[in-house]
Amino acid sequence: MRAKQALILMLTIILLITCAGCGAKEAASGEVIFTLAIQEEIDTFNPLSAWSIVSAEALMLVYDPLVRYDDAYDPVPCLAKSWELSDDQLTWTFHLAEGVQWHDGEPFTSADVKFTYETFYDQGAYLYSSYLEGISSIETPDANTVVITTEYPKANMLLNTTPIVPEHIWGEIAEDEIYDWVDDKVIGTGPFKYSAERSTEGVYVFVKNEAYFGEKKPYIDTLVLVIYENSDTIATALELGEIDGAAAIAATQKEALAASGKVDIINASVPGFSQVAINMAPEEYGGTGNPLLREKVIRHAIDYCVNRAYILEMAYNNAGTVGYTLINPGNPYHYQPTAQELRTYDPAKAAQLLEEAGYSDTNGDGIREDAQGNPLSFELISISDNSWEIKTAQIMASNCRDAGIEFRLTNMDSGALSDIIYTYEYDIHIWGWGADADPGTILAIFTTDFANETGFSNARYDELYEAQMREMDEAKRIELVQEMQQILYEESPYLIYIHDDYVQAIRSDKWTGYAGIPSENGGLFYNLTFNNYMNIRPADSK
Amino acid sequence: MRKRRLLKKIVYALITVFFVLVFNYFLFRILPGDVVSMLSRNAKISPEMIENIRAAYGLDLPWYEQFALYLRDLFTGNLGTSFTYKKPVIEVIGGKILPTVVLLGVAEIIAILIGIFFGVVSAWKRGKALDTGLLTTSLLLYSMPVFWFGMILVLIFSATLQLLPTGGMVTPGRLYADSWARMADIGRHMVMPAICMGLAMVGEYAITMRSTMIDVLQEDYITTARAKGFGESYVLRKHALPNAMLPMITIIAINLGLIVGGAIQIETVFSWPGLGNLMYTALNNRDYPLLQGLFLIVTVSVILANVLADLLYELVDPRVKS
Repeated sequence: MRAKQALILMLTIILLITCAGCGAKEAASGEVIFTLAIQEEIDTFNPLSAWSIVSAEALMLVYDPLVRYDDAYDPVPCLAKSWELSDDQLTWTFHLAEGVQWHDGEPFTSADVKFTYETFYDQGAYLYSSYLEGISSIETPDANTVVITTEYPKANMLLNTTPIVPEHIWGEIAEDEIYDWVDDKVIGTGPFKYSAERSTEGVYVFVKNEAYFGEKKPYIDTLVLVIYENSDTIATALELGEIDGAAAIAATQKEALAASGKVDIINASVPGFSQVAINMAPEEYGGTGNPLLREKVIRHAIDYCVNRAYILEMAYNNAGTVGYTLINPGNPYHYQPTAQELRTYDPAKAAQLLEEAGYSDTNGDGIREDAQGNPLSFELISISDNSWEIKTAQIMASNCRDAGIEFRLTNMDSGALSDIIYTYEYDIHIWGWGADADPGTILAIFTTDFANETGFSNARYDELYEAQMREMDEAKRIELVQEMQQILYEESPYLIYIHDDYVQAIRSDKWTGYAGIPSENGGLFYNLTFNNYMNIRPADSK
Repeated sequence: MRKRRLLKKIVYALITVFFVLVFNYFLFRILPGDVVSMLSRNAKISPEMIENIRAAYGLDLPWYEQFALYLRDLFTGNLGTSFTYKKPVIEVIGGKILPTVVLLGVAEIIAILIGIFFGVVSAWKRGKALDTGLLTTSLLLYSMPVFWFGMILVLIFSATLQLLPTGGMVTPGRLYADSWARMADIGRHMVMPAICMGLAMVGEYAITMRSTMIDVLQEDYITTARAKGFGESYVLRKHALPNAMLPMITIIAINLGLIVGGAIQIETVFSWPGLGNLMYTALNNRDYPLLQGLFLIVTVSVILANVLADLLYELVDPRVKS
């Protein structure tokens, strides 16, 4: 009896929550919907306080920047239809596209650009702040012109993807509330509009902006981003056609999906790397790292024990490429160490280096000691929910043992790890970084100002960093950036071992028009451009 | 007299809630790492910006000031703003609490009904083949990894039979003609997770029910009832069951209280937008306000469920009153 009442209560509750959708009409037939599985939530649609990668992806569809990237990451017109740089390389004049409207019908003007850049700079927008460094003033001589003056020649000016937000909405928000203001309308100028009515928990719906000013408009009517927490069900959902693409699938699902013949699997190389970070901070930094790691020869010896190819295969299921330096191979700024410089897997060479430097095993326990008898024994920390990094640590520990170096393995969560590394209270840890289209972003992490967790500080490196930020000639900038990577490879604060791939998938039997960006090995999604969302179309359309 | 006891219970409950609130506040802050130090894993961010963000969340204040602010906000019903979602904690939790309660509520009902039925039949047929069969089934369901069971269900009902969707709560992006269509859609998505979760909980109820029922069936009043010539099923329903339900009420109450905590494994397998995963995200991001809010809700509902259980006891068992 009581159970029956409970059942009725339950049904009533279900009815109540479902009523949120009352009155909505069934979608028009023939609507072209592309559904993409994502694994992370959009934390907020407020670009000032957004942190997650998927937020950056969504903001890119709803808002427009002044310039976008083409498939090769070269700047192409967007809200700015053309631009000029003055002879002293300090003044940029952007001519804005005409007749652009916000999603609510208001006209877009140069005042919006000025408002956005100034607000984002003052508030310190997490995802976009570095693009706005060095801007000294913004003038708007007329509604379609923006003149930006910079303190120094700004090499990354055209890589600036800061989304332009409407002043008529954002200007109304008080300055101290704007940072975490909850924007439920999300009014932009972009090719897609956010549809709050059709979105539910874990499902984000974007509909085509019919009034988009760009020459090209999206083929698809609707883009749906949906969260799949479990990468195994992503594969099943793809095969069943519940979803059309996936921004990341487990590398272990690759073969099974590819065998179906209906799915394109792409090992998408994304800017970034994983590294073994070594605490080499000098004593005055007050850390608790093992002082032996300040010796370059020991860092090099450890590097000789990193079996990159084996790690790539065993720990990463071949989802990535072996790497040594900060910037991915294939990028013009990439530096490849010369044959003399290159340290490939060779434990015997490591043993020889250590022997020559006076580190030998004096007490017969298999671990080398220095002259004072301190053993070459270090703590190696990996992040506990990252199984591939844990495997990497295990492989490294066993290989280093052959050269007489001991690793004590520990796991902790990323929160705990981030707490100890910036106070230099560790020996060695494994973590990764994501980079950007502009090489300057990732190079910044080793400048003295940034206070890298390894304690690395190098006057020549800092000097080169400043120079490349101001170098407008690409060939010269490449030279500077390559020398920086060379310094890092020699000093070895990070032993970079892999450039990780995202394994992405798409139903090739249903869709066409997509491509890997910036190259064949690039990503379909999360590739810093909106190009695939614009180009993708049903395979049976003309 | 009765009113006074009720009042006393409520006061005790409130005191417990308050202690939990204070305890949680410090518990989360003892955890190494905070939200802002984790943000510094962005190459674009400068040290000044880190300080700005720290100030924006009030993390630059001394701990006692932060605590005072927390208490003040709490008494005005403000649970703070989530660091991760930059929305009021109430809104973040509000979006996920109904899906959680609906899913786990249905699962709980499935578990209770099947569990009681299994338990009663087992006890009644004690030692027979039916008892062994039901007991084995219960133990099997109880010890089965939920994650694995969920995947097997997906394999059968989604991949092979193509009857049910693999996950989520609704068909993404679909517009509904009316709320019945929407309800049917939610229902379709809920079948597998509810069954999976429900069956996993059957064992607990069945085994408890069986052992108390066996005790009850040996009582003198059951023999008396049988001697009076009542039918077997009448004896079971009217004489044995009400007495055997007493320990069940406690278990059910505690489990109902825990419902709002969500079920992280089920939510992960079926991508159900629930509180379990939210808690995991909050913990990983050191989202103190969200963690505090979630723990508050779980605490309050467990305490509330216990108070309810106490009251229910009085109704079911007159002896408790005296």
